Amino acid sequence: MADALVKSEFLPKEAHAPAKAGLLFARPTAKTGLMSWLTTVDHKKIGVLYAAFAIFFFLVGGVEALLIRTQLMVPNNHFLGAHTYGELFTMHGTTMIFLAVMPLNAAFFNLLIPLQIGARDVAFPRLNAFSLWVFVAGATVMNIGWLLPSGAPAVGWFGYAPLTSKLFTPDISADLWAMGLQILGVSSIAASLNFIVTIINMRAPGLTMMRLPVFTWMALFTSFLLVLAMPAIAIALVEVIFDRHFNTMFFEASRGGQPILWQHLFWVFGHPEVYILILPPMGYISEILPTFSRKPLFGYAVVVFSGATIGFIGFGVWSHHMFTTGLGAVATAAFALATMAIAVPTGVKIFNWIGTLWGGHLQMRTPMLFALGFIWMFMLGGFSGIMHAAAPADAQQQDTYFVIAHFHYVLIGGATFALLAAIHYWFPKFFGRMVDETWGKISFWVIFVGFNCTFFPMHFLGLNGMPRRTWTYDSNMEWNGLNMFCTISAYVLGLGIFIYFATVVWSYFKGQKVGNDPWDGRTLEWSIPSPPPEHNFDAIPTVRARDGWWHAKQNPAEAKKDADAAIKAEAAHGGIHMPDQSWFPFFGGVGMLIAGLGFANYFPPASFTGLGILVLSIYFWALEGPGGYHIHLDQGAGEGHGHGGH
Amino acid sequence: MAGGLQTLRCACVRACAGRPQLNDIMRFSAFLRSLARRAYPALAVALLALPASGALWLEGPQSTFQTAGPVAKDQLHLFYITLWVTLILFVITGSALAVATLKFRAKTEADEHAAPPPQSHGNPVVELGLTIGSIVCLLFIAVPTLHSIKYTYDVENGETPGKLAKLVEEGKAYRIKATGYQWWFKFEYPTEKTAAGSDLVTANELVIPAGMPVHIDLRTGDVIHSFWVPKLGGKVDMIPNRPNHLWLQADEPGYYFGQCAEYCGDSHSIMKFRVIALAKDDFAKWLAAQKQPARAAAPLAPTPAAKGTMAVLNLDGRDRLAPLAGTGDASVAFTAWQARQQPAPAQENTALISAGRRLFRDNNCIMCHAIRGQEGIGTNAPDLTHVGARSTIAAGLLENNPERMKDWLIEPDYWKPSNKMFHGITYPVKMAGYLKLDESGQPQMNPTGQPVRNIALTDADATALTAYLQSLK
Repeated sequence: MADALVKSEFLPKEAHAPAKAGLLFARPTAKTGLMSWLTTVDHKKIGVLYAAFAIFFFLVGGVEALLIRTQLMVPNNHFLGAHTYGELFTMHGTTMIFLAVMPLNAAFFNLLIPLQIGARDVAFPRLNAFSLWVFVAGATVMNIGWLLPSGAPAVGWFGYAPLTSKLFTPDISADLWAMGLQILGVSSIAASLNFIVTIINMRAPGLTMMRLPVFTWMALFTSFLLVLAMPAIAIALVEVIFDRHFNTMFFEASRGGQPILWQHLFWVFGHPEVYILILPPMGYISEILPTFSRKPLFGYAVVVFSGATIGFIGFGVWSHHMFTTGLGAVATAAFALATMAIAVPTGVKIFNWIGTLWGGHLQMRTPMLFALGFIWMFMLGGFSGIMHAAAPADAQQQDTYFVIAHFHYVLIGGATFALLAAIHYWFPKFFGRMVDETWGKISFWVIFVGFNCTFFPMHFLGLNGMPRRTWTYDSNMEWNGLNMFCTISAYVLGLGIFIYFATVVWSYFKGQKVGNDPWDGRTLEWSIPSPPPEHNFDAIPTVRARDGWWHAKQNPAEAKKDADAAIKAEAAHGGIHMPDQSWFPFFGGVGMLIAGLGFANYFPPASFTGLGILVLSIYFWALEGPGGYHIHLDQGAGEGHGHGGH
Repeated sequence: MAGGLQTLRCACVRACAGRPQLNDIMRFSAFLRSLARRAYPALAVALLALPASGALWLEGPQSTFQTAGPVAKDQLHLFYITLWVTLILFVITGSALAVATLKFRAKTEADEHAAPPPQSHGNPVVELGLTIGSIVCLLFIAVPTLHSIKYTYDVENGETPGKLAKLVEEGKAYRIKATGYQWWFKFEYPTEKTAAGSDLVTANELVIPAGMPVHIDLRTGDVIHSFWVPKLGGKVDMIPNRPNHLWLQADEPGYYFGQCAEYCGDSHSIMKFRVIALAKDDFAKWLAAQKQPARAAAPLAPTPAAKGTMAVLNLDGRDRLAPLAGTGDASVAFTAWQARQQPAPAQENTALISAGRRLFRDNNCIMCHAIRGQEGIGTNAPDLTHVGARSTIAAGLLENNPERMKDWLIEPDYWKPSNKMFHGITYPVKMAGYLKLDESGQPQMNPTGQPVRNIALTDADATALTAYLQSLK
């Protein structure tokens, strides 16, 4: 049995079962090659695909950022045209939020949640694949403007009405932006419902909620935030599209519409969105710090409840993005106080992370360096956030480079540092090789220095009156030196990111091979082989304590007894059950893409064709049923027998 | 990646293709050359000057630290409170983090492989203490914040329309209406009537009385803009169908820089303005001059200008990095502004002015720009009645001198991309600018794919127009 835990030769390498008579298409069974990726329902493969797309867009967004910085290097610059600059900052923000950080978090949700809760897959594997392909469709619609005569969207990632109206953006770029965002929202909601059901229903025996790994907790909160926040933007986007296509007047000022309404709807979504971006990183940090401190998270319950509190209050602070819109003194005061209140649970998390380090044996591996960098940078971003909460002071800071500095400290120093830590930390689990430590550490220091030199001076630029979203600036404003410095530093940051990902790619091919548990981890994912077999767990683990794997390592006899019992129980039910692959999630995504492009281009035949494909895909998807087959460990291969569905 | 760059390059070329009056590729290579020429000195200056010029970082014309009025002072005071509280918290928390990292770091190989430390799970008393501590710290910020919200909201004792009207009537406050447009500001003085009985209107340079609270009503003519004069106070947005206001006060006479602070389209970054605060007597004098109709230095020329080849903007040999709007030194700019209020010089080329006036009419400039007492009657572009007395043109972008004004008139789209004078408008009526529009309101293209010009100024035209506009003191 111990042997079976390290080897994964039972991972089926080719079609193992006779093709089943599916609906329209034979049910795909390929385990390798393009087909296997397009039709996969395996949460790990889906996670890898999410990560690949997200990293691609992260690099695209990074190039956009460097072009922006190049334009701002010297005053009165005409390196980029004003409109191109508008496209670039719009797409930089949109790409980094919706196409890089969110899907990278989604990648980790996919990769880790089933492993951390001891499950074989998510609750709805085909819905999971559907979320992925819808995300790809949305990303395509969002970016395709670069190749079209309209150009990419140039309305800002916040798309403030009435700039998005037909009058001020007559071409289809704003339609592409609205439809792209709408489709991405569908993906997020579908994925989030899936994760909520998975976390609540599919936990291994003994894994009570208060034993759940903190990352999984944060994923649960994030999923709830998405499900609750996304509808606000969905409605707002429908209104924008109606205004543009059907001459309604939700935001059409010339006919009595209210542009301010857009801002409320957008930020009712947009502020929870900030926590959607940052809660999962708090989860990674809460996993990485205990591992490399070699002791449990300090104040587990407090960290969990503060996450919930942040999520809850996060819905009540949206108007702090609107302190300069003339809310009136009472509303301004209320939102200022609520914003200060949200600093308390955030601060509590920082105290607990420091408490985790205290008394530990800190091992300074690369993920630990990024995690410590996260705490420092996130702390600075948090403090400038408190400054924004003081509404009258914010009247000077709002829409200046001070805000740019603030949220890049939270989103690069915070979210991105945590994601880079997470990639380095979990890479061996999914690829069976370590990321090179020496180059990992070098990349950390280059990124750390480049990041701080790029963004810290922006506080001064903002306080010295430089507004954001400026294509160029005059040379008499005393902004020249710092802008030059920021641009040079941005190249250093870009170099660091390049070193990081070059190291990851190199390690994929040449990295040192490792076993199940290279970091002496604490949670269940470290109990299984690297990379994990298709079915994840030979025996569904029985969790006896928080940090279940750590406990099992301390009590091997008990763990062995639990595993044997679990295998016996499962064998009595026919072995390990796995879901079948399916074409329909992919086709659903294709339908969504065609429909989205059809709507954005005012071309109803394409819209209806796309919607038709989508509806048919969902219909056949429901009709074909989950299918499935069993894997028998002792035989080393699965035995197919469809059941369920039809 | 290469594909992405290619696409971006296509996007750049395409974005410029709509305004192809200048060859962008050449412009770019000229930029690269000019950059190369100054790369080393610029780099050296940047690296050497940075540490030494700490003070300069916060001493620009739009510094929020060099406050000149009570609103900005109050906001800066609050900023300092947040800065001190967070700085103290940073020192405490940062020290704890640094100590934890340094003290518990594995220093030797033995440390790396030592047995795990005690598996402790937390300490409720510490947690509770730190939580309460954080709340107390925030109270230090919250209380002054509430006070400041009330103070900065409106002129003291003028919080209702009735009370405000009374203050204005008593001469204890002043009231102005500011309206944002893509990409310029209109300023109206509801209490000041011109000779013709209309409200006094100016553009892009707001003149206010010093030492008195000024209540500014904020409106917009199109998208959302934001009114911001950092040295006088924080910004408030100008939002369609939502009347907003702010108040500010300049304690001393002076010249202050302002800028739109909400993204409002392509030329958002160069939608600027100035605020000039004047002592009581000077302000009265300025009002009296502004209420006069435009100065008629010469009559309308009887014959239209001769046809000729279109002038091309030529910036060769100019310093591309030099300031466009003159000095950032407010006191120098203030003196220069005051000098502009003096009567025009005795020797003026009246023939040239006369021809310029004719060109201004014949090219339809009058349909958008008002020049009170003369031909200009339009209201959807900046009022130019006294444009010669302003220190800047093109919404605070360019210094108002004959050279810059001529550059601006020859190629407005280079300076202010997508501007309506060049591209025309389609709403609420269709009106062509420098480009001819087709029926759908799109620029008309000639067979080679170049847009057809509606206004094609010759070099002589531009000189004459400049002379005319400069004469409008």
